[in-house]
Amino acid sequence: MSTPREPGVPGTDPGASVGSGPAAPPGAPFEETPWRRLDPRTLLVHCGWMAAPLGSLALTALATGGRINTEAWITLAAISASFAVLTTLGLIRWARTEFRITLPRRGEGAGGASPTFDVRSGLLTRRLRSVPLHRIRTVDLTATPVHRVLGVTVLRAGTAGSGDGSSELSLEALAVPEAERLRTELLAYADAEAIANDPVVARINWRWLRYAPLTFWVIGGVFVAAGGAYRALDGIGIEAWKLGFVQRAFTEFGASALWLTIPAALVAILALGSVGAVVLYVENWWSYCLEWTDSRTLRVRRGLLTTRAVTIERARLRGVVLREPLLLRAGGGALVRAVAGGLGNREENRKRSGLLPPAPRAEALRVAGGTLRSPFPGSAAPAALTPHPRVALRRRRVRGLLFVVLPGTAVPAGLGAAFTPVLLHCAWIYALITTALSLWLARDAYRNLGHGLDGPYLVARSGTFSRDTVALQRDAVAAWTFSTSPFTRRAGLVTLTAAVAAGDDGYRIPDLPAADAAGFATTAAPGILEEFLVHPGPAPVPEQRSR
Amino acid sequence: MPEHAAPLLRPPRHRVDPRARRWWTLQALLTLSGPMLLTALTMVVLSLLFFPGALPWLGPLLLVVLVLPALGYLLVMPRWRYAVHAWELGSQAVYAAGGWFWQKRRIAPLSRVQTVDTVRGPLQRRYGLATVTVTTASTAGDIKIAGLSDADAEELSLRISEAAQDVPGDAA
Repeated sequence: MSTPREPGVPGTDPGASVGSGPAAPPGAPFEETPWRRLDPRTLLVHCGWMAAPLGSLALTALATGGRINTEAWITLAAISASFAVLTTLGLIRWARTEFRITLPRRGEGAGGASPTFDVRSGLLTRRLRSVPLHRIRTVDLTATPVHRVLGVTVLRAGTAGSGDGSSELSLEALAVPEAERLRTELLAYADAEAIANDPVVARINWRWLRYAPLTFWVIGGVFVAAGGAYRALDGIGIEAWKLGFVQRAFTEFGASALWLTIPAALVAILALGSVGAVVLYVENWWSYCLEWTDSRTLRVRRGLLTTRAVTIERARLRGVVLREPLLLRAGGGALVRAVAGGLGNREENRKRSGLLPPAPRAEALRVAGGTLRSPFPGSAAPAALTPHPRVALRRRRVRGLLFVVLPGTAVPAGLGAAFTPVLLHCAWIYALITTALSLWLARDAYRNLGHGLDGPYLVARSGTFSRDTVALQRDAVAAWTFSTSPFTRRAGLVTLTAAVAAGDDGYRIPDLPAADAAGFATTAAPGILEEFLVHPGPAPVPEQRSR
Repeated sequence: MPEHAAPLLRPPRHRVDPRARRWWTLQALLTLSGPMLLTALTMVVLSLLFFPGALPWLGPLLLVVLVLPALGYLLVMPRWRYAVHAWELGSQAVYAAGGWFWQKRRIAPLSRVQTVDTVRGPLQRRYGLATVTVTTASTAGDIKIAGLSDADAEELSLRISEAAQDVPGDAA
């Protein structure tokens, strides 16, 4: 492992370099901190692009039995030339990029000077960018798979009003521990109060586009679009199945090797769906900006063809939902919705309550916090939510086995026993796969269950296909509902629903222990159900009302 | 009973009117049980007339799929419902329990009450019953007390309206 912490050009006076931004003048009350360099493994990252052409070349060589023809030789030469050029450029960039944190000298630091983060780069035009640490709002570390293999990561520091990339400092790339250390150093001076008071909560960052394909609609959307096209054609009297090229395509599809064409078709559908998702994402979230227009109004602006602007009055903002659909969660993303009154009916509310598109989870937590004007529960430390009893896990397992595994197995098994053994094989394969899958999902669903109180907020988390963490203002709770079924009653559980005059109206906390539910509801929103409580003792019975 | 004094929610004090059982029975007969029984009867008659050979397997099938569920619903649901449905008006909140298989207990503070509706359907009128619906700003907070006697319903809606006026708050 090479150490990234090489002193670059120690003692170089920062003021001497061609600078943009408030560079520290010579003799400033700063400690001379050494310049630090990027990790040399960055050079290897730049070679990552060669994988695809080299791979295809190797495949060609394999396919032709080791014979490399002229064309391949030319490709190889081109790759080598590009490699040489890019590596040289990378080497120069690596050698010429340096960064450091300057700290005010002890005793003199009080004179208005604040610590800054300096990055200088460039071969001919030396560029020095220097950002006061208290203006830094976000520091995120991102790593592509290539970065991860090499154990390095890209660090980006965003300042107030950044997000479009212009006022952002990025270092590519640092060793992971080094990057973590730098992030801590950078954020140690970030002005927490300014973060809370910054009117712009979030702007679109096109790097978030990578989260766009992480929805179930990537596959479903293709079929929906295909169905729509078919119906449209059908409407004008064209039967798609009878078109010559469609029939030919299907015949060829069936005739060629299925083990090759089916994966190819799947990949094509995935690619098409991803493109669709990205297009939708761009259309929906173009020039997205979430900001406090004044201290009482939150405004979301977005949209490319249709521009949308939703204004939410603070008094009507009752909470925030952090949604993490399964795929998005797997990719480390989340999206944020407002729980606000007056956004219209359920459908309109769904369309208008979006505060943040699919984005990195850390960003989602930050936006949720910026919306609540207090840290979103669980963003600082892992949320201390109370887990639910183990019986809830059993209920989820039984539910999965009963409603997914059983019908899908029993029907083909029955038919198979009657007609053909092929269906029997289908049945046991289905049973095996869905059992494993539903047990895994049940476990995930159970782990996601949690509830708790965090200052003025009631926090509840549930769901597996979409893990939703809702933070509701406790004094916004308008009513409590305790729902049970014979099964939950036997298991000693109850589902508590908090009614609020905002968002989806009712927010469920599924499968609470029955003994704790009333106590939790009372603590969370006092003044509603105290007079209907009994403290364990003689069990009361409903008496016949005298008439 | 657990040792720690975690408070528990007790059922509401007042049961609904006993005549509600008959109302629910009639309702079940008209909406679900009646049609199911009629379907079974029609199929038996048809099979007797045209396919007498089908009876040995059709009879048990109809019994299990239509007749028994219909009778079960007709006999069990009203009693079960009557055992569950209850209501209470406290000094701060309204409390109602409802449902039968899936049961619901809902408490809404009087300060959040927006309107109090009393509804009497044609069937309910036959038995002198009424349904009181207390609405709040949230649809998940609306309280429905079904099967009250007319007098109780009137008194209850009056008392809720009065109490809601006395409790300060803008019901938002």
